[in-house]
Amino acid sequence: MRSRSRPNSLRGTSLVRLRVALVLIAMVVSVFGARLFQLQGVDARAYAAKAEAAGVVTLTLPATRGAITDRTGTPLAESVDGLMIVADPTKTREDASAIAKLLAARLEVDYFEVLERLRKRHTQFQYVARRVPSTKARAVVEAIDTSGYKGIDVRRDPVRDYPAKDVAANILGFMGEEGQAMDGFELLFDDILAGRDGTATYEQGGGNRIPLGDNSVVSPESGDDLRLTIDRDVQWYTQRVLRQAVQASRGESGAAVVMDTHTGELLALADHPTFDANNPVSSPKEDLGARSLFDVYEPGSVEKVLTASSLIDAGLVTPGTRISIPNQLRRQDRVINDYWEHSRLRLTLTGVIAKSSNIGTVLAADEFTPRGLHRYLSSFGLGQPTRIGFAGEAPGLLPPWEIWQQINQDTIAFGQGVSVTAVQMAAAINAIANRGVYVAPSLVKGSATTADGDTVGSDVATTRRVLSRRAARQTTRMMEAVTDLEEGTAPAAAIEGYRVAGKTGTAQRVGADGMGYDGTFTVSFAGFAPADDPRFLVYVVVHDPRNGGGGGTVGGPAFHKIMTYLLRKYAVPPTGANAPDDPLEW
Amino acid sequence: MSSPFSSRMPRIAEATVERARLRVVPRRTTRPPRLPFVTLVSLLLVIGVVGLLLFNTSMQQSSFTATALEQEASLLDAEEQSLQMDLDMLRDPQKVAAAAQELGMVPAGSPAFIRLEDGKVLGNPAVAGPDQTMRISPLPTTRPRRLSPDPVILRLPDARRAAR
Repeated sequence: MRSRSRPNSLRGTSLVRLRVALVLIAMVVSVFGARLFQLQGVDARAYAAKAEAAGVVTLTLPATRGAITDRTGTPLAESVDGLMIVADPTKTREDASAIAKLLAARLEVDYFEVLERLRKRHTQFQYVARRVPSTKARAVVEAIDTSGYKGIDVRRDPVRDYPAKDVAANILGFMGEEGQAMDGFELLFDDILAGRDGTATYEQGGGNRIPLGDNSVVSPESGDDLRLTIDRDVQWYTQRVLRQAVQASRGESGAAVVMDTHTGELLALADHPTFDANNPVSSPKEDLGARSLFDVYEPGSVEKVLTASSLIDAGLVTPGTRISIPNQLRRQDRVINDYWEHSRLRLTLTGVIAKSSNIGTVLAADEFTPRGLHRYLSSFGLGQPTRIGFAGEAPGLLPPWEIWQQINQDTIAFGQGVSVTAVQMAAAINAIANRGVYVAPSLVKGSATTADGDTVGSDVATTRRVLSRRAARQTTRMMEAVTDLEEGTAPAAAIEGYRVAGKTGTAQRVGADGMGYDGTFTVSFAGFAPADDPRFLVYVVVHDPRNGGGGGTVGGPAFHKIMTYLLRKYAVPPTGANAPDDPLEW
Repeated sequence: MSSPFSSRMPRIAEATVERARLRVVPRRTTRPPRLPFVTLVSLLLVIGVVGLLLFNTSMQQSSFTATALEQEASLLDAEEQSLQMDLDMLRDPQKVAAAAQELGMVPAGSPAFIRLEDGKVLGNPAVAGPDQTMRISPLPTTRPRRLSPDPVILRLPDARRAAR
């Protein structure tokens, strides 16, 4: 019995053991299963994020901002990889003076200012220098590292460089501290210039990529370049001549426009005062834009040629029309005078333009109905923006003809009671130079789309005929009398060997309050050469000159310098023909 | 009971049958030698592991090289950019004009052109003179008035009256 029951009981215990073990294993496995479910199913995302934080690096690959170049491809604004040098004052405080000495010796930073920053309390982050070219920055940080100091590091800081500083700064605008576009074309064409940043994600160990680790790269798209119609050398020269003209006449501000007669491309658009685009904060805020596009003023006598050419085109007068000019003219409740005292004069229309007689112009314009004059003037582009591409460009003011009274037509005929921007006026006069065809001015070579969705540029510049060829030619002949050495109002604008057509302007200025004239003047000169085959138009305006100068004495010499430079630079030969000598009096 | 066939078989056949009778023979246990197999397997294992290690190392090595080269490339890139920046600075028209003025140069006077068709000289060539010099630098900024104020005159009471 005992011998038989023994194997049975043995088998029983092993069975029990087996079952117990099975249960234990099942329990352990189910614990594992539950944990697995928790790790993979419930907390998976959190752990993945943790793993990523531990080893995965995501870098922004910054897109290179496109350059803005002049018409020849010379950069006016370009982007350079730069670095900022930052300090952790908790680490630098001990060695502040030694570090500051090193930094001040190698970078253009002030020793005492840096010293103060390196010692600043309660912070772990201080800027030491911004927008340092990266080679320079790395060299400095390396030097500090090898000297055994800690707490100085570099970070990316894109540098937007304007190599010619203030040249064309009024058009280009500038960039903010954080590398964002702030003004001018930088802002207007930001979509084109900026490009798209890329990213690089990879696992990192000890400063190196882990091979076969997760790795993905979205390469950045560089911004496109923007080419302007500006010629950098002409722009520079024009800015310097303008500055001299404004300062010599003790004027308040000024503008100069250089335009290619046939294409309407602006070779230069200068404003004074202007600013250094590399350092916009050092200039007053009101100097940061393009006054030539945003500020309106009354053009004065320069506008007379628009009136005269319209009259000729309408067949109402000819350059030889005889006008008898009294010493003053009573109109409604006002009296119109000429800028010089005279008894009764007998001038032809050419004489009226050459001597810039207000009374003569008003009498000639009597041939027009308000509607007729208005139609011509708006066809010349007055009262509408030029759509050159600048957002918020001033449209100027040309009152609707329905509300004109006699006195309005009279003053508008000689350029008062109508307001323009410098670019608008230059484009209007250019229609006469371009044989009666108005060409919309452009600043962008080719074409580009602004942030507002407008496509602008020399390729899409519109043209329209304003005057007949004949009327334009006759007006040009009259304008040549203006630069006549003996008879004209602007002999200083004449250029040896060339035929030059032009017109002076001296206008009363509307005060800052907008309530009537304040006793100051705007003087200007617009002209083109060679008169018998025009290539360039130059328009110079100076606001509030305090030396008593007029359009001929302030604008004339500046015009002369700029035009001489242009004709020489672009090798425009004189045509060899003689200037006309039409009678001014009868 | 030696054989169930004995009664019916002839004697010769009996012997054959006796010989042909199936019997259990011991299994032949000719084991192949172990050593070559073990060697082969461990060799494969070692080659695999070492190969993987070498592969990994070389990958790691090339990763180091790639990082170093990338750094060098970006450094050279930066260097090129700063040199370009220096060059652009030197090409600044203001700088060129200032250097030209330093040498005593002035803007050219009016040039003349020769028309090749008929050999006619167009324009009146003129010599550039010192009067054509233009000011290219800005005027020095004037000192603000508040930095040079009018002297403040204090009228002290008369010494004798003060003594009184």
